Amino acid sequence: MTNLLLMTGVFLFSFVVGYFLISRIPTLLHTPLMSMTNAISAVTILGVLILFSVSSTRTEQIIGSVAFIMAAFNLVGGFVITDRMLKLFKKKGGCK
Amino acid sequence: MTETYSVMNLLLDFFFFFILILGIWLFRWPHRAKFGNLAAAFALACAAGMVLYRSGIMHPNIVLISLVIGSIAGFWVARRITMIQIPAMVAFQHGAGGVAAFFLSLAELMRGSHHLGMLNEISGLLGLAIGSLTFSGSMIAGGKLSNTLGQEQRILPRHTLLVLTNFISIIVLIITALVAPMESRIYFYILIIFMSVLFGILFSIRIGGADMPVLISFLNAAAGVAAAFCGMIIENKLLISCGAMVAASGSILTYVMCKAMNRSLYRVFVPVQDISSKNKNPKTDKTDIYTINPEASHPPIEKDNFQKALEYAQEAKKIIIVPGYGMAVAQAQFAVIDLSNLLIDMKKDVKFAIHPVAGRMPGHMNVLLAEAGIDYDLLKEMDEINPDFAKTDLSLIVGACDVVNPAAIEIDGSPISGMPILHTHESGHVVCCNLDDKPGYSGVENPLYKNDNTTLLLGNAKETIEYLVENLSKETPDIEASLNKKNQRTPFDVAVSVLLTAQKIIIIPGYGMALAQAQFKVVQLASMLESIGTEVKFAIHPVAGRMPGHMNVLLAEAEVDYDKLYEMDDINPEFSQTDAVLIFGACDVVNPAAMDTKGTPISGMPILNAHDAKRILICNFDENPGYSGVENTLYKDKKTIMLIGDAASTANELIEAFK
Repeated sequence: MTNLLLMTGVFLFSFVVGYFLISRIPTLLHTPLMSMTNAISAVTILGVLILFSVSSTRTEQIIGSVAFIMAAFNLVGGFVITDRMLKLFKKKGGCK
Repeated sequence: MTETYSVMNLLLDFFFFFILILGIWLFRWPHRAKFGNLAAAFALACAAGMVLYRSGIMHPNIVLISLVIGSIAGFWVARRITMIQIPAMVAFQHGAGGVAAFFLSLAELMRGSHHLGMLNEISGLLGLAIGSLTFSGSMIAGGKLSNTLGQEQRILPRHTLLVLTNFISIIVLIITALVAPMESRIYFYILIIFMSVLFGILFSIRIGGADMPVLISFLNAAAGVAAAFCGMIIENKLLISCGAMVAASGSILTYVMCKAMNRSLYRVFVPVQDISSKNKNPKTDKTDIYTINPEASHPPIEKDNFQKALEYAQEAKKIIIVPGYGMAVAQAQFAVIDLSNLLIDMKKDVKFAIHPVAGRMPGHMNVLLAEAGIDYDLLKEMDEINPDFAKTDLSLIVGACDVVNPAAIEIDGSPISGMPILHTHESGHVVCCNLDDKPGYSGVENPLYKNDNTTLLLGNAKETIEYLVENLSKETPDIEASLNKKNQRTPFDVAVSVLLTAQKIIIIPGYGMALAQAQFKVVQLASMLESIGTEVKFAIHPVAGRMPGHMNVLLAEAEVDYDKLYEMDDINPEFSQTDAVLIFGACDVVNPAAMDTKGTPISGMPILNAHDAKRILICNFDENPGYSGVENTLYKDKKTIMLIGDAASTANELIEAFK
């Protein structure tokens, strides 16, 4: 029961923090924002790492490696494309 | 000892969470967002390193190989994608995130059914379901956004009932899986995945092209929720908080998009059936945009209108440019930036008004303009700029319709009533550079077009803007000359614009191509077309070349991906959906006389149905008949553009024109 409360608490806390932070972001950057949060959602890669930290059966290994490839694709692709996009946003007369 | 250890863990988790928050916080300022992105990437990398350090790894080979494959694929795709394809790319990545989430849940459930608590198990089952539906939903969304699937809504009979039944069956399956005996649970897991994938498909196929920004934001949130549930199975707080943060972001964007289109989430997901069947027009309009017929799209601009537009632009002190998705489709953003730079040099006050749903995903228009090199300070949000329109001398609309339609505020009961719009109708003059004066996606007529102070410059927006730039920069505008130039376009110019606007192109190589040694140029042309998002296929007639399969070898030598080479029977049905056919040195194998006329040497010979395509570009050496000696009726077809000459140099000229 304490576990349930703790985990729900973590979820709600992060949701609220995220909500306040993100509602202040200008619409100018909504596409890079979505593409970055998309990369963040590949945090499941941590879960897959933990999965591989103990010995596993052949089936688990196959399932795990598919999950790992997909998460890595999402993670790397998401951050790289966001970086490319953000480099496009320029201001006149200065590299700022 | 264990206590300090867990406090340490908690602190570290909190530290990573803090860097992540810092990263998102930096997104408030465009020039700092880049560091924000790097900070977030850094936080995740550190967290992964921490996990490795803490718990070690049992199968380093598998992890390493998977990491290399996934990262290289992600990196490669992310480097190659163009900015207009971003929404599709993001959608596919949501899908990849979904796959990762449900596979992780599946592995944990299979392993842990014996010791997982009830709570973890419920989370695992939910992670399984949400991950799978995110996957299939994103694949459909990605397909629609990249135009591989049709844009239209597909509504099956009793669609809502089907979706509901599907949903209930997933819930029932989840409950049964919780109480079922251990050995049989795996079957329930697989059933849940199957039903959820089906749910994702049913759910997203009935959402039309215009509502894609909502769907993609919603899937963003779903991917976050799936990640959070994965975190709950293994009780990892960092996973839960990252997932929650993504869910928050996706929810906000979903809300913003719904508000901007004046649609309730419910109406987007459960569209009214009769609207989609009654309003056939908007659907065809939409496809028109994608398959621009170059001749229909170039009605001669009326000289008077053009003259008027130039005068307004010269006299105006305050100008607002309103870009819409039509601008992106016409690839006019670079010309628009040229125009704005010119106007700024003329000491005019120029701003851009960006409607929240301009583009295919939240903020997409900003990225497209940023790519074209705009100063982002000039980009203004709707609420910020709307009060300015009344004080503005000239509004220049480029490829936008519904978002400037005053009917949204003036008329009740239309599909767009109540939708927030950009108030261009309040400005002194309106110049509208749209493809046509038909209604936009909503199907509602735009009364703005009929106003006295509106000047329509219909046609390809890119060309219209280029002519404006050309004449504004001159002391004495020579409208006559540039309009003449516009109206007397050579077949070559037409061919270039056909190729640029086509979504789907089939190339037919013949032995003439090989004789001219043009295959390398042709392949180069094909890859250029692909780089701008065009789908290119090669149609190989069985007797193209000098021996069976010869043409395939020649093209393979020029390094064509053999997946793109199609046999006659496979590709013939596709010609009717093809925007342009590009023929290099082939004659008899595309001669419709083989089917139409009896008694010729080629009658009855199977041919490639090039004549079914919307446009046909023929790059042959001459107009003479082929070996058979039968006149090729295709050459006289109204849809055909002849580019006579050496195939290699024609291909080279086309390549140069693209550059």
